[in-house]
Amino acid sequence: MEDLFVLAISCIFINNILLAQYLGNCPFLGTSKKMETAIGMAMAVIFVLVMAGGLTWIVNEYLLKTLDVEYLQTVSFILVIASLVQFVEMFLKKSIPALYSGLGIFLPLITTNCAVMGVALINMKEGYSFLEAIVASFAYAIGYGLALILFAGIRERILLARVPKPLQDTSIGLITAGIIAITFMSFKGMV
Amino acid sequence: MREMISMIVVLTVLTAVSGGLLAAVKSGTEVRIENQVLKFQKAPAIKELFPKATNNPLAERFTVKDGKTEWQIFPTKLPDGSKAIAFETHGIGFAGPVGLMVGINLKTDHIVGARVTTHSETPGVGARAKDDPTFVSQFAGMSLDKKFAIKSDGGDIDGISGATFTSKGVCVAARQAKEIYRKLKPEILKQIK
Amino acid sequence: MAQSLAKEFTKGLWAEIPPFRLVLGLCPTLAVTKTVENGIGMGVATAFVLVFSNLLVSMLRNLIPSKVRIACYIVIIATFVTIVELLMQAFTYPLYLKLGIFIPLIVVNCILLGRAEAFASKNSPILSLADGLGMGIGYTLALGALGGVREIIGHGTLTFWGGTPVFEMGAWFHPFAFMIQAPGAFVALGLMLCFMNLMGKQ
Repeated sequence: MEDLFVLAISCIFINNILLAQYLGNCPFLGTSKKMETAIGMAMAVIFVLVMAGGLTWIVNEYLLKTLDVEYLQTVSFILVIASLVQFVEMFLKKSIPALYSGLGIFLPLITTNCAVMGVALINMKEGYSFLEAIVASFAYAIGYGLALILFAGIRERILLARVPKPLQDTSIGLITAGIIAITFMSFKGMV
Repeated sequence: MREMISMIVVLTVLTAVSGGLLAAVKSGTEVRIENQVLKFQKAPAIKELFPKATNNPLAERFTVKDGKTEWQIFPTKLPDGSKAIAFETHGIGFAGPVGLMVGINLKTDHIVGARVTTHSETPGVGARAKDDPTFVSQFAGMSLDKKFAIKSDGGDIDGISGATFTSKGVCVAARQAKEIYRKLKPEILKQIK
Repeated sequence: MAQSLAKEFTKGLWAEIPPFRLVLGLCPTLAVTKTVENGIGMGVATAFVLVFSNLLVSMLRNLIPSKVRIACYIVIIATFVTIVELLMQAFTYPLYLKLGIFIPLIVVNCILLGRAEAFASKNSPILSLADGLGMGIGYTLALGALGGVREIIGHGTLTFWGGTPVFEMGAWFHPFAFMIQAPGAFVALGLMLCFMNLMGKQ
């Protein structure tokens, strides 16, 4: 239990998927201009990442390992993630329309969010057990959401500031992200 | 309906071709990959551990099974005639896994030496564990009964200053090596010539 | 024909160079550009996948039903990514170790799916090949440049294959270790984008 807690903390803060492992940056910059979209994206990532983390673990353990075809990991994981996203989208549309209207437009974007694929690959590389993989996926997703929402808050303010023309938009966004990354670096050594 | 069928057919054919192609590339590169792993990851460490080896530990390697995991064992003969083996274990450092090649004397159960093989630690800080062998050479000559942990954790190893996590990771790998060795020694002795 | 071919090829080198102009494929751009060598290695690996996936997607564009096109593109891309991964393990093992998890992650690099969907699915194989080559080379140049800047400031050296640095800053220079760590990656790329904006599109 204590180990799982330590794992979760280190996945949220120390090895923050965005700011320390550099994964999922395209949607990070794309959806952080407004707080509303940032929250939507964060929720969608949490939702999909946990399911993808569990599913890819099962595929790897019971399909790829038993058949001894672990070199097909990349192909099978991306197919699992893509079809999972599609399935979640259809399911939400039919059964929970309220949630769908909130997350809907972010779901297709998640297929190419390398955070999802990245976490699946990290889980395999670290040799996590099923429970650990789920906890790690959830914690990584929380870390992603945390960074995204923090960043969106700052970005909304930057809109009001007078930024030199060549630095506008993505450029200043990346520099801001760099400064947030510095603050996250200070979590190192916590565990 | 026709559209449905064409969708299924196209996807099935595509994945089948993909699987077949990958299997072919995999079997074509398998031997080369294994050699590359040996050459770049394990050979340099083994050479440093057993500088006077009269045999070729890489060529005489064998595997020992512990449950599902296979351990690659590299046997050699030390200058004094006693037999020794080396194998690689892993611990978690500051930025990811740290590989440690540990050499153990089969007669005295003492550590012959240890070398870091792979790591992704910060250059100039944790990376010193590999670049500057003073830290890992502390293991040389130690009995397996010693406590492989850094002094602040109550062990017998001086950590690298500024790189506590790397030092701890290396110690974890060393403890794993001790455990594996104790467990698999009978099996290793059976297979060794 | 030759004119449009040249146009498709050169647009990837400056006017639409990823990731500076097309802000796509940021993760590897940030993660592996600690040194110029890693940057170029990653760029070449991505370019290889991009060229072949563009070519194949374009050749199959009339066969693939539109409803499952994304899935088909993903299978094609993932296949070439795995081939690159295996080939790198077999032939450039030290580089493979350095790039690590980011090689399989080429599969989710948005440049690949982006080019397949936006260009290769609508154009002839020859044009798609030119597009893929241009974008691939542009991406390699961009990653190499970013890697070079970060390596010079972060390490004080510039090292290509062979091990000996081709350029050293001298003893007076204290390397900024900040530049080769995560925050430095974001800041360096942000400043690089600013520089590209200053230079203009022509």
